[in-house]
Amino acid sequence: MIPIIGLAAGVLLGLFLDPTVPLWLQPYLPIAVVAALDAVFGGFRARLDGIFDAKVFVISFVSNVVVAGLIVFLGDQLGVGAQLSTAVVVVLGIRIFGNAAAIRRHVFRA
Amino acid sequence: MTGSPRVSAPRSLGASLLDAVLAETLDPAYAQAAEARAAGRSPERRRWRARTLVALTMVLAGLLVSIAYDQAAAGAQGREQVREALVGDIDKESSVSDDLQTQLGQLSGQVTSTRDELLAHSAVGQQALDRLARAEQGAAAVKVTGPGILVTLANADPEADADPVGGTAADDSSGRVRDGDLQLVVNSLWAAGAEAISINGQRLGPLTAIRFAGEAVLVDFKPVNNPYEVSAIGDPDTLAGKFLASPEVIALAAVSKTFGLRFDYARKDELTLPAASTPELHIAVREGSAEEAPATDPTPGG
Repeated sequence: MIPIIGLAAGVLLGLFLDPTVPLWLQPYLPIAVVAALDAVFGGFRARLDGIFDAKVFVISFVSNVVVAGLIVFLGDQLGVGAQLSTAVVVVLGIRIFGNAAAIRRHVFRA
Repeated sequence: MTGSPRVSAPRSLGASLLDAVLAETLDPAYAQAAEARAAGRSPERRRWRARTLVALTMVLAGLLVSIAYDQAAAGAQGREQVREALVGDIDKESSVSDDLQTQLGQLSGQVTSTRDELLAHSAVGQQALDRLARAEQGAAAVKVTGPGILVTLANADPEADADPVGGTAADDSSGRVRDGDLQLVVNSLWAAGAEAISINGQRLGPLTAIRFAGEAVLVDFKPVNNPYEVSAIGDPDTLAGKFLASPEVIALAAVSKTFGLRFDYARKDELTLPAASTPELHIAVREGSAEEAPATDPTPGG
């Protein structure tokens, strides 16, 4: 329950405070969101599997976001930023899909 | 290619990578941590700290999502705003330009009438007025009406391509009217004795250029569009006879037949040509030496 309240609080905070993101950080925001979603879905599935661990969740979240951002940053420096973004989105997207399917099996028993 | 995934033969790098991505949707660290907990190596400690950490991370995730959403929405909105502002700017500036144009027309009308009034008082002025009227006729500075011929040039029709020689209209530019074609028509009309010529309502003055800019034909630096209607004032019979007999027009007719251009002419009893754009004053001379010096700079513009 607490994590969901936290998520809602974060969304509301972001919408109401309307923080300005520095220009150099803006290209990495969508990738960071996808990476964060991956970590959140992974954590939710682990919780349903009964193997959730707070330390693993926090570390995977932070490292996911940072590594995804770094990969895209590196790609931008090398001139293949768009392709690497696509690669990151594909891999994370597959994982989100897999986790969402596992969560669905847990929740609906189907 | 391996027969079944159970075979221990090495799979290709791409396939094993895909296997890993598809199979390990959950971070293996969760399973390891669970094992460690089950083995009792890492006891459950400080549950509240862990919960706060998780909650904070979730707050961060929510923040990320909402900020990204905000950014995307602001971007789309900003683009729309910028577009609307630019469209508004264009509308405003063109209306300002239109206003200035009408103002210019009014003011030059005033100047002309005042000038005519003043000059009409004296005999010298009357003479000057006559000379001025002739010069204005020649310089295409006044609207003219009279009989004449209307020559129409149009691009080849891509659908109605019943031409046996030109083949298909695959080559787009060959079926187009070029600036040279219009120049040829205009020059032949002048040679045939036309007194005044306009293209699509754009009057040709002594300094008017007919040019090509990209895809568009510019007459007096203003674009004119297909079909091109060249109106010429003069005696319709002699004009048409001389125009059609000139070798350039015969050549152009052959060319337009080959490429499927439309090239027509018609006699008109009444054509009205507008005045050319207001001429710029290049040279002003004293009245005493007016006969010797030209009223405007004779070097052609463009």
